[in-house]
Amino acid sequence: MADPAIEIRDLDLSLGRGAARVHILQGISLTIARGEAVGLIGPSGSGKSTLLMTLAGLERPDRGDVIIDGVALAGMSEDALARFRGARIGIVFQSFHLIPTMTALENVAAPLELAGAADAFERAEAELAAVGLAGRFAHYPAQLSGGEQQRVALARALAPRPAILVADEPTGNLDEATGQAIIDLLFELRAERGATLVLVTHDPDLAARCDRTIRLRSGRIEAPAPARALA
Amino acid sequence: MKPFVPLFRLAFRDLRGGLAGLRIFLACVALGVATIVGVNSLARSLADGLSRDGRAILGGDAAFSLIHRQLSPAERSYLAAHGALSDVATMRAMARNEAGDAALVEIKAVDPSWPAIGRAELTPAMTPQAALAPKDGVFGAAVEDAALDRLKVKIGDTLAIGAIKVQIRAALESEPDRLGSGLGLAPRVLVSLAALDRTGLVQPGSLVRWTTRVVMNPGGEPPSESAVKAFLADAKKAFPEAGWEAVGRGNISPAFSKNLDRFTEFLALIGLTSLIVGGVGVANAAQGFVERKRAILATLKAIGATGGEIVAIALIEFLAVTLIGIAGGLALGAVLPFFVNDLFGAIIPFPLAPGIFPGELALGFAYGLLTAFVFAIAPLGRAHDLPVSALFRDLVEPGRAWPRRRYVALAIAAAAAFAALAIGMSAERRLAIIVVVATVLGFLALRLVALAVMATARRAPRLSGLEWRWALANIHRPGALTPSVVLSLGLGLAVLVALTLIDNVLRGEIGHATPSETPSFYFLDIPSADIGAFRTFLRREAPSANVVEAPMMRGRIIKIGDRPAEGFKAKDNVAWVLQGDRGVTYSDQPPQGSIVVKGEWWPADYAGPPLVSLEEEIADGLGLKIGDAITVNVLGRNITAKIANLRKVNWRSFAMNFVLVYSPNTLKGAPHTFLVTAAFPHDIGSAAELSILRDAARDFPTVASLRVRDALRALAQLLDKLALAIRSASGVALSTSVLVLAGALAANRRSRIYDSVILKTLGATRGRLTAAFLIEYALLGAAASAFGLAAGAAAASLIVTKVMELDFAFAWAPALEAALGALGFTILLGLIGSWRILGQKPAAILREL
Repeated sequence: MADPAIEIRDLDLSLGRGAARVHILQGISLTIARGEAVGLIGPSGSGKSTLLMTLAGLERPDRGDVIIDGVALAGMSEDALARFRGARIGIVFQSFHLIPTMTALENVAAPLELAGAADAFERAEAELAAVGLAGRFAHYPAQLSGGEQQRVALARALAPRPAILVADEPTGNLDEATGQAIIDLLFELRAERGATLVLVTHDPDLAARCDRTIRLRSGRIEAPAPARALA
Repeated sequence: MKPFVPLFRLAFRDLRGGLAGLRIFLACVALGVATIVGVNSLARSLADGLSRDGRAILGGDAAFSLIHRQLSPAERSYLAAHGALSDVATMRAMARNEAGDAALVEIKAVDPSWPAIGRAELTPAMTPQAALAPKDGVFGAAVEDAALDRLKVKIGDTLAIGAIKVQIRAALESEPDRLGSGLGLAPRVLVSLAALDRTGLVQPGSLVRWTTRVVMNPGGEPPSESAVKAFLADAKKAFPEAGWEAVGRGNISPAFSKNLDRFTEFLALIGLTSLIVGGVGVANAAQGFVERKRAILATLKAIGATGGEIVAIALIEFLAVTLIGIAGGLALGAVLPFFVNDLFGAIIPFPLAPGIFPGELALGFAYGLLTAFVFAIAPLGRAHDLPVSALFRDLVEPGRAWPRRRYVALAIAAAAAFAALAIGMSAERRLAIIVVVATVLGFLALRLVALAVMATARRAPRLSGLEWRWALANIHRPGALTPSVVLSLGLGLAVLVALTLIDNVLRGEIGHATPSETPSFYFLDIPSADIGAFRTFLRREAPSANVVEAPMMRGRIIKIGDRPAEGFKAKDNVAWVLQGDRGVTYSDQPPQGSIVVKGEWWPADYAGPPLVSLEEEIADGLGLKIGDAITVNVLGRNITAKIANLRKVNWRSFAMNFVLVYSPNTLKGAPHTFLVTAAFPHDIGSAAELSILRDAARDFPTVASLRVRDALRALAQLLDKLALAIRSASGVALSTSVLVLAGALAANRRSRIYDSVILKTLGATRGRLTAAFLIEYALLGAAASAFGLAAGAAAASLIVTKVMELDFAFAWAPALEAALGALGFTILLGLIGSWRILGQKPAAILREL
């Protein structure tokens, strides 16, 4: 695959110390093309979230290479990784993780401000409007419903125009209808912006909407599913 | 590097969440800053008050004091050419009522122009001239209430002073120049100079202080400060050998100002200690802050903030709160002088000029900010490596125990800046260094104590009592209260124990008496002609007394070697010897209570050039050795003598001692009086003492008798007042400890509630849980108390022996009282907190978990 968005080679990662040490990822190799949507599935404890964190530069592997958008993460300092993440990777969490003391607009503007964008608030307004929350700029997270909070989180993840979007069970804390709406929005915006999506989920229907599904079991890729033709 | 502005914006947005969990921190900072600013502002108000009222306190723009003699005509006419002169004479004397009861009084004799500046208040209201003028051949007097009480006399009665009787015409309520005339141990009796002249008390060699005040430019505007200084300098140049003590209105009493500086510095150092104790609260608050903000900070990191930016955001938020605390402390401290002036202005004997002092506020601000920085930067620095993975799952790699090196280096640099500021701003560098070093050592020692307590609890054998097992587990488990409680309580208690023990030593010094050595009486101003009769009187009235006598006159040290005493840099502990005049004597043998430690005493018939014996420590403080010369002005004559030997003197016996003892041939021809002390082998009781006092006053009206018992009582009262100020300051230090303790308990509340609810669900009763908490707090309190006791005793011993140069004796009772009080308080505070925890309904909590 020429110029992939994500390339992972022979990844190993253990957590804990001494007797409590657990081998979480074992010999993972994987390539994801630009614009591809990949679903990571598997039972609890199989290493899905850890793999997601590793490719977002939030966890350092014991062994192996992670190359994102042509950049190897291995030699990067913590600060360089933070800047890289801020510019190229958008993250959506299961528990939203909005900052409770900031309004919806300020939450979305925060990564742009951190990146030094002069038009942070204008862009944040546009992102919130894109997720259907134009009337909710001044609302604090506690004043929003779960679905609305996850929309703000999605707007925040997409605001810096990242090349890669990672989502960790984004509907896990939402009811079915709201979850469905969020997923529709996620796929729609991803397609519109051409971002690569890596999605962790337990939901087989949701995984089926991805271009490809990767199943993990005990820290290993079980059986790579064939790539579906890109839309 | 990105601009800081977005970081400030993010930080301030987050602060909208309120100050929950930071209130104790706010209080710690505010209290510490308020103490430092309050004490320093009060000292400045006092200094400014003295300077503002300097002219009235001095009674003129400049004053020239002489002992034994009055101004020569040449000196008087020189001073008169520069302004209007007024004269005041002060001396100690005995006053007797009509029944013959006698009391020592301070006579102040004034000329008709008194007071040249300001107003004297008399009751009933009248002018001093009217009160003091002779009526039907009897001079008048205005007498302080204390003397009226002591002698059981009232207005209209007469008092015998020396050879005359004076009629009490008024009670003396206040004198504008009281502070400038010196604070005596005896109550004041105001008479006219003409009356003093008739008393017969003024004889060659008697201890009269003659002061001539000069009001420059009378009737016009007061002269500038520089004009006064120039006049003083010219006067000294014109009469280099006058031997007078010349002061201007801007610097009335250098010795008093220095003592005031020292005292306020001592209080300020206690304030600093309380700020440092509060620092433990700051560190706890910073740690709690990072814990509470964990998710927010991790989220910021997930969306692109670097570790450094995360710490910067946390630091900005924390320092913003610090500024609120500092502002509160500055406001509280700044109003203290106004508060003291309003409430106590009428009863404190010093003028206060309350004001807002930007310098003192800036200092408090700097201390507050540095304290917050020193204690907060390391806990906040841990946020640098806060794992974002915590947002994905609960299991994360444990964070590093230490923050990154750069934050540790910043904390050390800030601590060094704090220490440098404390030492640099201190006039008592040595004391400041001791406090700084002791604090650092105290911190390290307390950290070790906490680790030792936790290790001991961890290794303790498995106990059968469940409550004991729970208590021990609580002491050593991660996140235990142990380090906070031991550190805050241990440090606060160490300060309290140290101050208690120092106070105890000082009181012991005052009450210190050695039978046969510590005199019961000092008899002053015995004329040479009466000394024989006085010896006979004492043999008859006090046959068992050990009587010591010495000829005495007063002298001022003028030169040390060939360097003028003025501006001479003596060691701090002996600087007093150059301030004002000292008693000097002569003797053909070493005085009682002195031991010659270097050199030889002169032969009894020595007739060579003048020789002098100097006290060993003073010689050292002045940099003098045997063979060096020292020049002293006695009776208007400069006498240069060679140091023949050095003596060790036991000052603490209160027995008669002199700094300077001359060879007899040096001073024998000079007019002088005698000083006699009488010490009894055992306490003869107050009634017998009063009887001797009364008879001495009757038979020798010009002799002033000072009862040591009275003097010590006056000294103890003074110490009580000082102790009150010290206790207030140390009370602040202890309050800070309690705040820190309360903060630590509050921070721990969440996990306590969780534990209690789970244990209750499993069948634990409130009684068993209370017992476990009681054991835990008692063990922690005991460890902190033991440390506080040991460290406080060590600090007190160091200060008493090295700074005060006194003997240290450990007093169990007050130290244990403080330690047990602290222990009880810890248990009480812990139990109050626990009671609320135990009152929680498990179901409600379990639903939230």
